Amino acid sequence: MQALGLYRPGSSILHRAPAGGKLIGLFVLALAASVLPASLVLLGSLSVIVVVLYLVAGLGFRELAGQVLMIRWLILLLTITGLLFLPLEDALANITRMVLVIVLAGLVTLTTRTSDLLNAFEVALSPLRLVRVNPERVSLVLALSIRTVPVIAGFAQQLRDAQRSRGGRLSIRAFVVPLLVLSLRHSDDLADALVARGAD
Amino acid sequence: MTTENNSSLRDLTRIATFTALIAVLGLPGAIPLFGNAVPITLQTLGVMLAGAVLGWWRGAASVLALLLLVAAGLPLLSGGRGGIGVFFGPSVGYLIGFVFGAAVTGLIVHAGATKPTWLRVALGSFVGGVLTVYLFGIPLQSVVTGIPLLGTAYASLIFLPGDLVKVALSTALVLAVWRAYPKAFSFPRAPRIPAVAASQ
Repeated sequence: MQALGLYRPGSSILHRAPAGGKLIGLFVLALAASVLPASLVLLGSLSVIVVVLYLVAGLGFRELAGQVLMIRWLILLLTITGLLFLPLEDALANITRMVLVIVLAGLVTLTTRTSDLLNAFEVALSPLRLVRVNPERVSLVLALSIRTVPVIAGFAQQLRDAQRSRGGRLSIRAFVVPLLVLSLRHSDDLADALVARGAD
Repeated sequence: MTTENNSSLRDLTRIATFTALIAVLGLPGAIPLFGNAVPITLQTLGVMLAGAVLGWWRGAASVLALLLLVAAGLPLLSGGRGGIGVFFGPSVGYLIGFVFGAAVTGLIVHAGATKPTWLRVALGSFVGGVLTVYLFGIPLQSVVTGIPLLGTAYASLIFLPGDLVKVALSTALVLAVWRAYPKAFSFPRAPRIPAVAASQ
């Protein structure tokens, strides 16, 4: 599970902070960035906060630049459409604001284990009991999904290889139909296995 | 009682399987259109299929589970995107729209029906997988980017041809899966084994 995630191991104070706290902090800062009127002071101080937090997390400018690079298409699109529809200052302020929030959210992802975040979600979802949804069942579905992704990716690989070995061209239909049938059979087998082991 | 529990476990594994399927359909080639923030993949096809095969609540649940895993830091969105940052970017509305889109598709395909017809699947995929997704996607993109609604709507037109192809694909695929593995569909009171039902 860790191999699949975007988490970067570390021992900084941000890594050790509780996942729920980090999420709340992120929402507060994101809210501040989007509700308060954009000014040089607001965007400037937010930029400083973001840079300092990345340094505190021991991630450094390299990781920060990587995060910005990851949304380069987004920045390009926003620049083009923003300049088309908005005055220059507003367009720049919007882009800066959004990049800052996304990069800040990236920090939570980089410093928090997927399992810790999932546990925090389970706590946050406990009010769902009121509408008769069991948060433990939600966790079971999430855990099963994580286990099933590599299985289905394996099916997809097999189907692609089989198609290639028959020399046919890769048609979406001849790929997705067997993928769905294999996956759904697997799902029913999984349910039978869970019942046989006395789950539930 | 036992059968009830079995069927609910079967529901859970199916939800998890579709969560994984939507993730895997986002894997192959995310094609980033020049200068556009939201890449084209088969992921939206997965959303239509989830609703059409599983019905409204299981379909919506499987998309919701995918979004929770993404928020927890797994790179399961098209093109390997993930982390809580995507919920602060311009595509957040499309992600929320996926949940409702799967539900609407499921409602149109399943409500009062005992088997999928091509008309219902095509209509459901279009209204659910395209219109509903845009209904949430475009206004929220406009809010996040600060670009006026009309401009955002025009920019999104670029995805319409691809989406229409996906509606056609979804229709063909759902009917093919119905022929190949009807057990997968959760139609109410549909005879699971028609031959046995007929002989009684």
